[in-house]
Amino acid sequence: MSTKDPIDLRQDRRQWLKTSATVLGASLLPLPEVSAEVSQAETAPVPQAAKTAQAKSTARFFTPAQHALVEELSETIIPADSHSGGAKAAKVADYIDQVLRESFDDSQRALWREGLRLIDIMSQHYHGRGFVNATPEEKIALLTVLSDHEQMSDLPEVRFFIDLKRMTVRGYYTSKVGIHDDLQYKGNRVLQEYVGCDDQEPSSS
Amino acid sequence: MAEREADLTKTYDAVIVGSGAAGGMAAHVLTAHGLQVLLLEAGKKLPIEQELRSMEWPYDNAHRGFLPPQSHSLSFNEYTIRNPPYGPGFEKSEHLHSYVGSSDYVKNIVVNERENPFTGTNYAWVRARCLGGKTNIWGRLALRLSDYDFKAKSRDGYGDDWPINYNDIAPYYDKVDLYLGITGVRENLPYLPDSIFQRPTKLNCAEVTLKQGIQKMGRVLTQYRAGVTSEGLKHNKYRSRCYGRGACERKGGCDIHAAFDSPTGLIYPAMDTGNLTLRTNAVVREITVDPQTGKASGVHFIDSQTMKDYSVRAKVVVLAASTLESARLLLLSKSRLYPNGLANSSGHVGHNFCEHVMGPGVAGRAKDLVGKPPTLDDGRPGGFYLTRFRNLAEKHPKFIRGYGFEGGSGSTLFPRGTDVHGFGASFKEEVRRNQGAFVGMGAFGEVLSRYENYVDLDPAVKDKWGVPSLRFHYKFQDNEHRMAEDMKETAQEMFEAAGFEIVHVSSRVLTEGWSIHELGTARMGTEPKTSVLNQFEQSHDVKNLFVVDGSAFVSASCQNPTWTIMALCWRSCDYLADEFQKGNL
Repeated sequence: MSTKDPIDLRQDRRQWLKTSATVLGASLLPLPEVSAEVSQAETAPVPQAAKTAQAKSTARFFTPAQHALVEELSETIIPADSHSGGAKAAKVADYIDQVLRESFDDSQRALWREGLRLIDIMSQHYHGRGFVNATPEEKIALLTVLSDHEQMSDLPEVRFFIDLKRMTVRGYYTSKVGIHDDLQYKGNRVLQEYVGCDDQEPSSS
Repeated sequence: MAEREADLTKTYDAVIVGSGAAGGMAAHVLTAHGLQVLLLEAGKKLPIEQELRSMEWPYDNAHRGFLPPQSHSLSFNEYTIRNPPYGPGFEKSEHLHSYVGSSDYVKNIVVNERENPFTGTNYAWVRARCLGGKTNIWGRLALRLSDYDFKAKSRDGYGDDWPINYNDIAPYYDKVDLYLGITGVRENLPYLPDSIFQRPTKLNCAEVTLKQGIQKMGRVLTQYRAGVTSEGLKHNKYRSRCYGRGACERKGGCDIHAAFDSPTGLIYPAMDTGNLTLRTNAVVREITVDPQTGKASGVHFIDSQTMKDYSVRAKVVVLAASTLESARLLLLSKSRLYPNGLANSSGHVGHNFCEHVMGPGVAGRAKDLVGKPPTLDDGRPGGFYLTRFRNLAEKHPKFIRGYGFEGGSGSTLFPRGTDVHGFGASFKEEVRRNQGAFVGMGAFGEVLSRYENYVDLDPAVKDKWGVPSLRFHYKFQDNEHRMAEDMKETAQEMFEAAGFEIVHVSSRVLTEGWSIHELGTARMGTEPKTSVLNQFEQSHDVKNLFVVDGSAFVSASCQNPTWTIMALCWRSCDYLADEFQKGNL
């Protein structure tokens, strides 16, 4: 994909949705239909050992492959840098899995299944490989397409991106990595004296 | 304090309905005068420290501090597009809360809207049915009113003056300050009298910049006057002093009770006198009347858990169920003697309903703080209060009355500024570099008291206990909208004066009710034809009936009402006890 020319998302998606049905089937992640509210354990071809493990731990929302994809997506939203760990280190994908697993909102679950499917179709279209295997630059380029089209909220992939970012932000900045390593939050401690502009070093008890 | 089973066979000197700021204060004052008091609360006594968990880190909470999946709290958009009683459209959630009920720490404090429906015009009605009511989660801004408020009609000709002036209530504000504790700084402002303050909080750097920036405009920014004991209270063993732990901004209440709440501040000490009996889960549905004397004789209530009906007798009935619930109870108490409801010969019960309008405000960044090392900014009960400046010396051409701003700056546990466009390394760095530089403030303005803004009983809809629901007929009008326009402009102009980079200016007026400062449904006055209560919050019609909560307010002013509710209540209950002992009730 060219970084210079603006992408026409509506036009492009007609093309990639068409080709995805024929050419790309084999390379895509195995994902269920959007509307089908069936448990992942039933539809996804997971190895037998993994299946048993899932059954024990009240079945995760994401398949292992989806989980890996969400890890890459969330890490692209909030990456590790020289200052602190990113979404992977903060286990944001686990947090999102829990929210979706417990959610009473079927439409949100359907949006995530559809969104993950469309992300890989888009990645195939623009970069010739699934999102997980794309280069860091390709990952950023792909999410930039969605971020730059945030106003097209009738498109499921755009709505998915908005929710992906919202949940990643929530998961990251409520984690130990986000609060302590990244923001170095100084509050939530017992103080003997209030802190003001003149005295930025609090006196702890 | 020793809790005991409520004896419902005896006749109490007084029964109080509601255990929030007003009910707690009535219990404190009346028991101190030696009256035998029964306090009824519609909700439960919660294990409040376990609910609030003020120092819990988000990552130690099963849902990171957010609501569990079966619960939903109403958003601004939902209030706008859905009509009460909020049934259709929310089938997916088992518990539906007002907008305040948006965290794991308050979900059991606010009511389930499904069990407590209301109808009519949209209203963000925030109710807390539990011991202490909304004082468990209040914003703690504790301000006095002045004669600019009590005598507002004499100044601009609109509405009515209060039947008291500042000198009548000032000694009671002092008593409330000393008994409950308040932090702040003396400013000597005639329109915002000082309290007797304990150790003040400190302004952080951006707040100092704003204070200095607006000084040349003649405007005043002062430390948040918080109803919090910063030095401790020797006479109260249930409350700790404030240790600046900083969970205050999540508005989840204070589990060491440095912030005032009615149970530890008022009710438990009142129980220690031996004169107070508490009955929770008591949903009062009617005030009973002696048909011979026309006086109140007690109340009927339903046990919220067993649904069983009870009656209890008292020589005096004190309503403190909140502005809207007290009005509802008066309207529910119809009898042959009082066909329009109790204390309602004027027809004013439920009317003159007023509050504060909210929404307009500004968010910005102090540019010199961007990228600075992290600071500790939220270890205090509040940031700042920017006091009223409209319609004091000069008359504004477009609206009457005034407004003030609440605001704050600096780092918070969940960072501000994550709602910016983009993602990736630059997004992450921007959030980090900006986190301590954010400044924001929002206005609270007086909504005029109007007879045509009112509540009555819905003819069909009832709550879970079979009690008829309230129906709202309440809308902001031109004065509020013109004031809101001015709020937005002055907010922006003051941030510009401070040299802040403006990130967002909001002109959106929030849903009616958002301020949680509903007032005025049984107003005081000297004239029984146009008011419900006299200056001691005593019914003109029924002399052993008092209404001591926000319903007694004649106008809303723009200052937050809790401290005034309690000062007025103390004054009224001193009078009540005196009249009781003289045999006049």
